[in-house]
Formats: sequence, structure tokens, C-alpha cells
Amino acid sequence: MEVNNMEMEAKTQESSQSPSGLIILWREIVRDKLALVSLIFLVLITTFVYGIALFLDQSEIIKVDLFAIHEPPSKEFWLGTDYGGRDVFGQLIIGTRNSLSIGILVTLMTGVIAIVFGLVAGYFGGAVDNILMRILDFFMVLPFLMIVIVFVSIVPKYSILSFSLIMTAFLWMGKARLFRAKALQESELDYVQAARTLGTPSIKIMFTHVFPNIYSIIIVAMTLALANNIGLESGLSFLGFGFPESTPSLGTLMSYARNPQTLEYRWWIWLPAAILILLIMLSIRNVGEALKRATDARQRRG
Amino acid sequence: MAFLEIKDLKVHFPIKGGIFGRTVDHIKAVDGVSLAVEKGMTYGLVGESGSGKTTTGRAVLGLNKVTDGKIIYNGRDITSLRGSKLDYRKDIQMIFQDPYSSLNPKKRVLDIVSEPLKNYEKLSRQEIKKRVQELLELVGLSPESIVKYPHQFSGGQRQRIGVARAIALKPKIIIADEPVSALDVSVQAQVLNFMQDIQSELDLTYIFISHDLGVIKHMCDHIGIMYRGRYVEEGTTEAIFNDPQHIYTKRLVAAIPDINPRNREKQLHFRQEVETEYEQSYNDYFDEDGLAFQLQTISDKHSVALPERS
Repeated sequence: MEVNNMEMEAKTQESSQSPSGLIILWREIVRDKLALVSLIFLVLITTFVYGIALFLDQSEIIKVDLFAIHEPPSKEFWLGTDYGGRDVFGQLIIGTRNSLSIGILVTLMTGVIAIVFGLVAGYFGGAVDNILMRILDFFMVLPFLMIVIVFVSIVPKYSILSFSLIMTAFLWMGKARLFRAKALQESELDYVQAARTLGTPSIKIMFTHVFPNIYSIIIVAMTLALANNIGLESGLSFLGFGFPESTPSLGTLMSYARNPQTLEYRWWIWLPAAILILLIMLSIRNVGEALKRATDARQRRG
Repeated sequence: MAFLEIKDLKVHFPIKGGIFGRTVDHIKAVDGVSLAVEKGMTYGLVGESGSGKTTTGRAVLGLNKVTDGKIIYNGRDITSLRGSKLDYRKDIQMIFQDPYSSLNPKKRVLDIVSEPLKNYEKLSRQEIKKRVQELLELVGLSPESIVKYPHQFSGGQRQRIGVARAIALKPKIIIADEPVSALDVSVQAQVLNFMQDIQSELDLTYIFISHDLGVIKHMCDHIGIMYRGRYVEEGTTEAIFNDPQHIYTKRLVAAIPDINPRNREKQLHFRQEVETEYEQSYNDYFDEDGLAFQLQTISDKHSVALPERS
């Protein structure tokens, strides 16, 4: 009897560690070697970039030096210089930092808006849902690119924050819709009704009952959105609607390749930035796909 | 005055249609149900799927919007109260049908059972933990269960957690919505007997919703039989089971299996008799829409939905 009890105890101990969503996500990443390598790469590149950027002086890097135009890589300039004699390596580090910062900031801000919007619409349903969804539809039909271009021309000097805000204003809708659908599904379940009969206030039900049950989907959506947002920022900068040249960005470095001379003979200006964008976006996607699989028990590997 | 009284309750759900989503029609889930429950008794609501028994129960809790009618609890009209006036909820709790979806899978038993306590009673952490352990002991679960998650329990155990949560605030009325229909037959009796035990212990009033007549007969003092949103027959358990008047009730009673093989012939005969009566006299019991008539009182313990000819 005693032994039996002990065994039971051990068994419940074991299984009590399994339900957490975070652990399932983590296990899936470990099982998927590609995702694990990607995650390690991302962590390394982020710490490296943010660490090095602390020791670099942005005003020094973007200072034009006419005596060092188009220098190939050397001991002094590790990745050569661009057409203004500016150090490409420094621009690459600061540019990656800026691109990552914007990507993370936009993802977090859109995420918060989408979570609140989706939870409220999905939990209350009915008229509230209808009104909120029409507001969302309105934002959906606005031409994102055109408005960003107008914004760039009317705001003379913008910072990472203001650029992130304008991107946030037009990038939260897709996620809000996804979260709303999930919240709607979850709110139909009995435990939400039970919480209401037990006298729990609506706000508390939304954030302590519904939210924990959809958060794995939120994490996946945010991870995939991070890759998209970084790509979007680089794309805008590439087109000339992102940051000015005085604020380095991966897209700006890429845009130098629009000059045929640079494209053909001066690979050191654009190639590292291109590879870095590719690797960062691919890695985030790999991690994101692994997380996505983890949320669906049928596709899980781990 | 009855402890809980429902007067001519109607719950209609709109059917939206057309280009602008206008309301084209209504589904009359509950259509004029009246009942009175005395303190300490068990009132059974019986009916087939979609007969509106669950909707009636949920309307009492305010989970479904009441279209018309009154719900009076302890002399107070609680039909459509909102906000701070919802304090009556403390006294009326529900046991849900599905023990799987009614417990939040991300929460520990401690959090689940203590939720009502946190909402209504200002207790310290230690006191809450103690109360939850007491409640778990009352429903026959070990006090160590508080750190476990719902998925670590069997269906019957989960239903007990639901019961523990429902009785945490010491309610006066519990609406039990098919509390055992999702459970294994071997566990059903266990949960039912336990519910009867705590009824006398905590002086509870049950509204027991079920489609299982055997369970109803075992549990209830008073029964209301519903069909398509209306009452077809209402009365004490004895009156309903020994002297069913409405053909629908007769068919239900005839369908109860008898365990004694010697009675098999008799049962079969009885069932065939009821079936022929049903076929011949359908129009005497239902109106042209196939709905039940208004209830007619035939004795002080029994009323039946019959046309107004008697």
C-alpha cells in the first residue's frame, strides 16, 4: 500500500510538469535542430550587435570622409567604406541594431494593441465585436505604403520611436483578427461561463482565463510578425522611405546596390547587409514555424 | 412565497437573415415556463435535447438573456439585474454538464476552487488555502490535490472539483445541469449520492436538470417535464411516475428499462400500448404546431398540459 502510494505520488509529480505551454514550445524547438541553431544564432547576433553598438559612435561613423571613398576592406575599415567614405562595418552593426529595434518595438506595440482589441471583441462578442471589427476593417483598407510615404515627407526628422508608431498604426489588424477568433472560441467554453457565475469581473476573466489559454498562439503570431516587420522596415529603407542615410539601417546599405558600379565592383557595401537580413529573417521564421507546430498537437515532433 | 419562483419565463433567440441581418424569426428555446421551488427540495427538469431545460437554468443565473417573464429569488426580482446588484449570484451557483470544458486547463485546483472566494470574501492566502483544502475533503478529494491541474484527474474527480467550486460560497441554490451525464455509469451514483449528502449537510436547494429519468427519480421531490420550450407535465415525483397523464410523459416512463427479466413481456406490452395511444391521440395532446398546451391543474400536486376541454 505504502509503495503503491509512493508510486502514485511519483507519477503525478512527473505529469504535473507537462501542461505548461512554454515547456511544450521549448521542447519543440529543441527537437527541431534547425530551429535550435536558428535560435542560438539569433541570440548571438542580437547580443553581439547590441553589445558592439555600445562602443561605436554613430556620429563618427556617419561622418563623410572624402579621402576614404569606396575603400575596399582593410585593417582600418573591416568592411571597406561607402561612397561617402563611411565605415560599412560600423553602419552594418548600427543598422542591424536599428532594424532589430524597430522590428521588436513594432511587434510588441502591435501585439499589445492586437491582444487587447482581440480579447475585448472576442470575449464580449455581439455588438461590441461588430463595432470593433468595422473599425478594424477601416484600418485594413487604408493604403499603408502611401501613408508611410506621406508621413516621411511631412515629418522632417523622425526617430526610431515615431517610425515604429506609424508602422504600428497599420500593422496590428491581422493579429487582432486572429486573436479575436481564438478568444471567441475560448469564450464559448464552460469555464468562462463558470467564471461569470462565480462573480469574476469581465476584465479579470479576459486576462486571467482567456488570455492564458490563447497565449501560445499569440507567441507564434508575434514571432512570425517579427520577421515580417524587420523585412518591412528594410524594404521601406531600401525604397528610400525609411530612415535617412544619417541613421544607418540594413535597408539603406542594401539600397546602395541600386548603383550598378557598386553592385558589380563593391560587394563589401551591400553583400554583408543582404546576407544578414536573409539570415535573421530565415532564423526567425524557422523558430516561428517550430513554435507554430508546437501549438498544434498533431504536427508536434517533440 | 416560494424560495425561487419562475413566472412565465420566455427566452427567445433571434434568427438573423436577409441582407441587413434583420431578425426574421425567433427560436423559442423557453416559451412560458413557470415553476416554484421550495427551500431544501430538489426540483427536476426533464426533457429531450433542445427542450429548453438548460436554457431555463442558465436564465436563472443570468447567462442567457430573459426575453419575458420574471425570476423571483427570496422575494426579490432578479430577472435582469446588472453590475453591483448581481450579489445574488453568490447564493445561486451552477454545476456544469461537461467536467472537461468547465475547468480552466491552465489553472491549478487551488486557483479554480478559490476563485469565488477571492471574488466575494476577503481572506488571506493561508485562509483561502485552508478553505480550499476543507472543500476538497468535503467532496472526497485529497487536500494535496490543490497543486494539480484539471487534466490530472478523472472525469468523476473533475466533476467533484466543479462541485467544490460551486459550494465554496455556501450557496442556497445549486443549478445542476446534467451533472452526471458526461460521467461513467460507475461514477454517476457516487457523484449523485455525494450531492445528496451535501444537500442535507449544507441545506441546499437543487434544480436538477437531466434527461435521465432514473437519475431524476432517485434525486428529485418534484419534477417538471419539458418539451420544445414548454411544460407538458409537472408534479411530485410520485404523481409523475405512478400516474403520468400526458402522452409524452407516458412515453418517457415507458422507455425506462426494467432490470427484472420476468417483467420483460409486461414491459413490452405496456410500451406497445403507449405507442398505439400516441399514434391515435397525438392531436389531443399537441396543438397544430406540435407544441404542448397550457398547463391544467388536475390535483394540488399535479398539472398537465391538456387542451381546455375538460
